Amino acid sequence: MEVGSATEPTLNLPLSEEVLKDSSEEYVQLQQRIFLTTVVVCLFGAALSAVFYGFTTSMSLLIGGISGLLYLRLLARSIGKLGKSTKSVGKVQLIVPVLLVLAVSKLPQLEFFPAMLGFLLYKPSLIIQEFLVSKTQVISE
Amino acid sequence: MDSITTAASVVAAGLAVGLGAIGPGIGQGSAAQGAVEGIARQPEAEGKIRGTLLLSFAFMESLTIYGLVVALVLLFANPFAG
Repeated sequence: MEVGSATEPTLNLPLSEEVLKDSSEEYVQLQQRIFLTTVVVCLFGAALSAVFYGFTTSMSLLIGGISGLLYLRLLARSIGKLGKSTKSVGKVQLIVPVLLVLAVSKLPQLEFFPAMLGFLLYKPSLIIQEFLVSKTQVISE
Repeated sequence: MDSITTAASVVAAGLAVGLGAIGPGIGQGSAAQGAVEGIARQPEAEGKIRGTLLLSFAFMESLTIYGLVVALVLLFANPFAG
């Protein structure tokens, strides 16, 4: 089959290094924004739980939040490697919740539900981030 | 913990991880395929595609994590252990 026929148009524009670099930087900036939002949400949650539930709950929530950040970092690194050095997304990041649950089950100082809630605090930050991005796009249009 | 509870917990843990990983596994494979194809077609949109992939993977993989957590709780912090 002829390459670039009328049914399958191909784009053969030469891409400059700057365009590709800008695109990679966009991903790095998105990661930084997500991490920052997650840190803020974790600290806010830990402060609130310290006020209402006490030090142990707050510490568990904070440790869960740190685990969530580590998980998100490893996931972002796996996705960053996708298509460059590997063909599939790695599963290394799944070791983080396993270690968290094991630590919570072995250490009496930590509580299970606050730790898991802290771990899942990356999800609200993702939603907040996506909401902010969509809002800025609407404003710019 | 009696032997029936132990056996049931181990079987339930295996089912929780195994069944819980089927759906997200299929979804992640499909999403990764689409993303790699998209990056190959439009390398200038790599950042946006990877960002969208990161968000979708984070939400998809949490379903696997739920199953994993249930399995680990059944194995290491079983609430039904007498």
